[in-house]
Amino acid sequence: MDNKAKIICVTGGKGGTGKTLCAVNIAVMFKDAGHNVLLIDGDVENPNTFLLLGGELENPKEVPFFKPKIIKAKCSKCGLCAENCATHALLHVKDQYPIPILSVCSGCQLCYKICPEEAIEPDFQPIGWTYYTSVGGIDLLLGELKPSEMRSVAVVEALLEQMEEIMEKEPDKYDRIVLDTAPGAHCDVEALIDKADIVIPVTEPTKFGKLDLLRIIELIQLLKKDYKAIVNRSSLLGFREQFLEELKEANIEILGDIPLDDNIVQSYCQGVPIMAKNSEYKDAEGYKAFQQIFINLKKWLDSLGGN
Amino acid sequence: MKIVIAIPSMKEGGLEDIVNPNFGRCKNFTFVELKEGEIDSVKVVQNEAMNAMGGAGIQAGGIIGNNNATAAIIGSIGPNAVESLNALNIETYQAPEKQITIKEAVNLFKKNALKKISSANVGSHYGLGGQG
Repeated sequence: MDNKAKIICVTGGKGGTGKTLCAVNIAVMFKDAGHNVLLIDGDVENPNTFLLLGGELENPKEVPFFKPKIIKAKCSKCGLCAENCATHALLHVKDQYPIPILSVCSGCQLCYKICPEEAIEPDFQPIGWTYYTSVGGIDLLLGELKPSEMRSVAVVEALLEQMEEIMEKEPDKYDRIVLDTAPGAHCDVEALIDKADIVIPVTEPTKFGKLDLLRIIELIQLLKKDYKAIVNRSSLLGFREQFLEELKEANIEILGDIPLDDNIVQSYCQGVPIMAKNSEYKDAEGYKAFQQIFINLKKWLDSLGGN
Repeated sequence: MKIVIAIPSMKEGGLEDIVNPNFGRCKNFTFVELKEGEIDSVKVVQNEAMNAMGGAGIQAGGIIGNNNATAAIIGSIGPNAVESLNALNIETYQAPEKQITIKEAVNLFKKNALKKISSANVGSHYGLGGQG
């Protein structure tokens, strides 16, 4: 029997569809069902999960990123580093020391590795931070990219490294890991989908929603992952039935749909997940929709085998 | 004092060619050497960075650096190119907005009629039709 933690990735492509809403409430529902849950916020440009859990972030851990430093005393000005830099991040003019253009440096460390005089030293600069904390009773591992930095995926990779470390050192600590991704289909999103056992793209019943859903499904299929969609705000403008029919015709399986519900918005603004144990919204349509989604999710996980 | 001015060129370069408003992705660079304030020699070098996927500004900086430029007269210049030219201590001057020949640009330079540039005046990838 496979005792490894089940990893559920919530994504969607389109921004603002309700990924964080779904990821947080799914994590809460698993916790209340007796599971040991880790929620990973991989939307490192705008990590918001902690807000929806009504908490604060503490103990930032810097994510270091390699930048080259030229040691002039050792440098022979041969230019080998600049010649081989794929992003032209080292500018070399004959008889001069190479000049790092740090804004385009990809951190690959090739220059450091090939310098025949060992004249390049790593100068690690923080590109962002990770936080490993407990908020609202849920263990949260969250990443934050330093504004103006380019490589979000570097912070996501730091999160995934931390996750792997925890899974290796304390394999029984968690049995459900929920990943929340950024919008889009960039490599930071890909890195998270790739780690998942199942993927839940969240969409909305509009043309934009459908198109972006098809795009993210392309990425999910490229990574050969099993997926079922959630249609959020499904009662929007009366398009629900038509939209669900369109998805059915496109062979896209639905995990569930969530109608427009002011109660969801209220709890969201309060910073309390609607599915929290003592929720005051137990009669709300949105609450019942999430309950049904959870039932379907449990069935889906059971069908995959393992615990 | 020897001054070598690099000027992005529209076509085949040389004094009669038009100044190319684009730096990183111009076709050729014309290098005009001044001795005692007068034109001593003119050289044209192809811009191999013209079709580069990325880092064109940096590579162009390297090309004019390797051709001993001490100054450059430029229309639009992006952030990476500016960083490169500043790092190489190549003094960068703003070309006028209207179309002028390379010879006219050099004359403006000789008369001290050009303002210096120290930061980008367009976004990255401007030469590819992008805005950053």
